[in-house]
Amino acid sequence: MSTVAEADSKQEALPERPKELAMHFDTLHQQFTTTKLGMWLFLGQELLFFCGLFTAYSVYRANHQEMFHYAHYFLDWKLGGANTVVLLCSSLTAAWSVRCAQLEQRKGLIVTLILTFLCACAFMTIKYIEYSHKIHIGAVWGSHFGVNQADFPEHLKETYPDLTSEQLQQMNAGSFFAIYFCMIGLHGIHVLVGMGLYIWLLIRAIRGDFNRKYYGAVDNVALYWHIVDIIWIFLFPLLYLIG
Amino acid sequence: MTEVAYETEHDIVVPGHEDHSGHHEGLPGTIGHVSPVKSLVVVLLCLLTLTVITVAVAQVNLGRMNVVVAIGIACVKASIVAMWFMHLRYDKRFNFWILIGSLAFVAWMVGYILFDSSMYQHNIRDYRETHNIYNAPIPDPHEGGEGHEE
Repeated sequence: MSTVAEADSKQEALPERPKELAMHFDTLHQQFTTTKLGMWLFLGQELLFFCGLFTAYSVYRANHQEMFHYAHYFLDWKLGGANTVVLLCSSLTAAWSVRCAQLEQRKGLIVTLILTFLCACAFMTIKYIEYSHKIHIGAVWGSHFGVNQADFPEHLKETYPDLTSEQLQQMNAGSFFAIYFCMIGLHGIHVLVGMGLYIWLLIRAIRGDFNRKYYGAVDNVALYWHIVDIIWIFLFPLLYLIG
Repeated sequence: MTEVAYETEHDIVVPGHEDHSGHHEGLPGTIGHVSPVKSLVVVLLCLLTLTVITVAVAQVNLGRMNVVVAIGIACVKASIVAMWFMHLRYDKRFNFWILIGSLAFVAWMVGYILFDSSMYQHNIRDYRETHNIYNAPIPDPHEGGEGHEE
């Protein structure tokens, strides 16, 4: 039985808490696994969030195959494919940044974070080219859809020379573009958020915040970035490739 | 000896958190699994190869199987990302089950609503026919021209 005085003296003997350790955790390990659990719960919720749009896609596609077939000619699979490659590469650099943080390679961490950010910029640039072209020719959502026959993609004109703009409107091609803009747009918003997070990480990495026992932020942002990549892995074939 | 009290737990191997890679890279006391550069690069190459395969398969007309193949390859790619890039293979099993649980609800929602919406499609088709709205034929992309009427 230890007396109160003894307990007090023991408490005083306790070493100083690491500055990274939040007051409601006992150890850095506990802090790491707890934040990671929270991140996974959030990612599970993210999948359900996107699930609504994937459901809309499935329902429309199952019931209006022809609409998807004709409308998907407006999407350029080369641009979509380029974006896939860019995003996959950014996933590699994101995973690599976690490795650098674990190994306390500060320079490597800064380089991989910058590379991830640049890949995200490239992704959004390609996205911008696609979006602006579609909006320019009038391949937009719902009843706003209206593309002149002259603006049809070459491939569509060659395959269906008789297809008119009016026919496209009547088969509700606008619904396809509503789904397209919502899915790709929501994904694009996630990429923008990820870019913000990578700037935040970069500032902290330059400041030297991270070490082998405290890199949860790098790890969790990378997890988020990978989920964004996974969503794109499904969006690319579903929208760009299979008509 | 300032850090000792907050560090002892790192040496305890948490079940489901062991390092399966055969060797442990990294500094002493590192939390979590450190992915070797080689495995990261191999994973990227696998993903790029599968992307090329997806694009190639999409050019071949397999009818309804095109969707199945595309989604199948996408699932493989997503699993690779989750297992290696997201460290799920070396992570606590609970995180894995969160993902599976979420996916189960995704499948449930998509499946159920697909099933439900297919029940009233004939009403929509009838409406379009009676109101003389253009019904586009289901096309056969590989023969060109307008496809056969469904």
